[in-house]
Amino acid sequence: MPDNLEDAISEALSEATEGPIKILVVDDEVDLETLVLQKFRRRIRRNELVFDFAHNGQEAIEKLDVDDDIAMVISDINMPVMDGLALLKQLNETKPNIRSVIVSAYGDMNNIRTAMNRGAFDFVTKPIDFTDLEITIDKTLKHLALVREALSNRDQLVALSRELDVARDMQASVLPRSFPSTARYNTHGLMVPAKEVGGDFYDFVPLGEDKIGLAIGDVSGKGVPAALFMMACRTLLRSHALEGGRPDECLAYVNNLLAEDNESCMFVTLFYGVFDSVSGVFNYCNGGHNPPRVVHRGGQVAALPTTRDLALGVLPGHAFSQESLQLEAGDMLFFYTDGVTEAEGPGSEELGEERLDALLATLDDTSCDDVTSRVLDRVREFAAGNPQSDDITCVALRYLGG
Amino acid sequence: MATGSVLDFTTETEGDTTVVIPAGRIDGSTASPFQESLLKLIEGGKGSLVVDFENIEYISSAGLRVLLLAAKQLQAGGRKIVLCAMRDHIAEVFKISGFSEILAIHPTRQDAINAG
Repeated sequence: MPDNLEDAISEALSEATEGPIKILVVDDEVDLETLVLQKFRRRIRRNELVFDFAHNGQEAIEKLDVDDDIAMVISDINMPVMDGLALLKQLNETKPNIRSVIVSAYGDMNNIRTAMNRGAFDFVTKPIDFTDLEITIDKTLKHLALVREALSNRDQLVALSRELDVARDMQASVLPRSFPSTARYNTHGLMVPAKEVGGDFYDFVPLGEDKIGLAIGDVSGKGVPAALFMMACRTLLRSHALEGGRPDECLAYVNNLLAEDNESCMFVTLFYGVFDSVSGVFNYCNGGHNPPRVVHRGGQVAALPTTRDLALGVLPGHAFSQESLQLEAGDMLFFYTDGVTEAEGPGSEELGEERLDALLATLDDTSCDDVTSRVLDRVREFAAGNPQSDDITCVALRYLGG
Repeated sequence: MATGSVLDFTTETEGDTTVVIPAGRIDGSTASPFQESLLKLIEGGKGSLVVDFENIEYISSAGLRVLLLAAKQLQAGGRKIVLCAMRDHIAEVFKISGFSEILAIHPTRQDAINAG
């Protein structure tokens, strides 16, 4: 084998695995031991390969039982006590991660077939051609390296899914557990996390008997980083909102803190509004979020005029502005994240705002908890089994009159 | 699950300006490799970076974040990012999120190159 190819393979192998690879040679001919050590002396010296020897199947099993480092077995067929085929059968059942190569007499197709059927990875014939054996060993080890890589990817997936559970728990822990309602208004909200949790959240902020603050947000990105950013955002907003801050002031406060040293460039689209249930006035500021809807009695639906503000965490010092909306008795405000409108149906078509508005128009007299579940039903019906790729959040508030 | 799909893109150069023309969807699964490619291009170039959206069908918030990172990186070296040729629904995403206020967006690639 040319040196450069040999080097390339051993480099690839040592990258995929750590330390030398251990091979157990099983043969009752004691001379083979000396031959193997002689033929592979360079690779043994370079600490790429280590050989161990057994003289029959039984001895091989005993060595394998105590030595987890053995990655490959090269075995003769005809041996006393336990032959190579019996060894293969046991290996296949108890050590599925070990690859074995069988050494058989030239032309002994019966035994070779039996060996392959019992899970041998490859075979070489006697008398052993060491160049051929080396190629076979390298082929086997390369295969093993691939298997190991696949296993490590799987382990990473398992770790990742645990991380997803953490993100899901964090998200669930901050969602409102009850939905404020008085004689003048009622509310409802729901959030269905995607498999890979995004950073959606919503919040009701109690502001005395007459007023209530309502926030909905969507953090860029997914998983634990998004969940952490979301929690920071919610806590900062709450701390300022509870002091009775105006929506535009609250968003400016949160933005400045989130934008400071924000190396990751993570951001959150955040809508925050304060509803005064005595006057029916809703003051709000929209930091880059999908415009909520107002649904009037009779089924007219309108998007809340945007305040043309930027998502939070992007630009420190951004000056936010505020809009105001006068609600009439019976009007409903509907808030959502893009998991609703960007839900994909067959053929990658999105649900879209038009379909959402068409549904909302029929819900002008529906209770808030029914509104949120009807929207969720519509999203699921539209998706028709397509996997949910983003969190779905919707919140409704109905003004009953002052 | 983010499967690490790759976003196909081609690049052209116009003087010192690098023009990137991605195609498809910039979403949770393509954003991260796209980010790596963009930052490499920025590192290897010296002028402005134009991102041509002509063949982009969808951009998620993860995609917007990549553009922010690129903008920050470029600004640190006194360079610019210029976007162009967005379809209406893509332009809407930039408008709603407010990003159209902080990122330069032009109707055509030539306008963007001239502005860069």
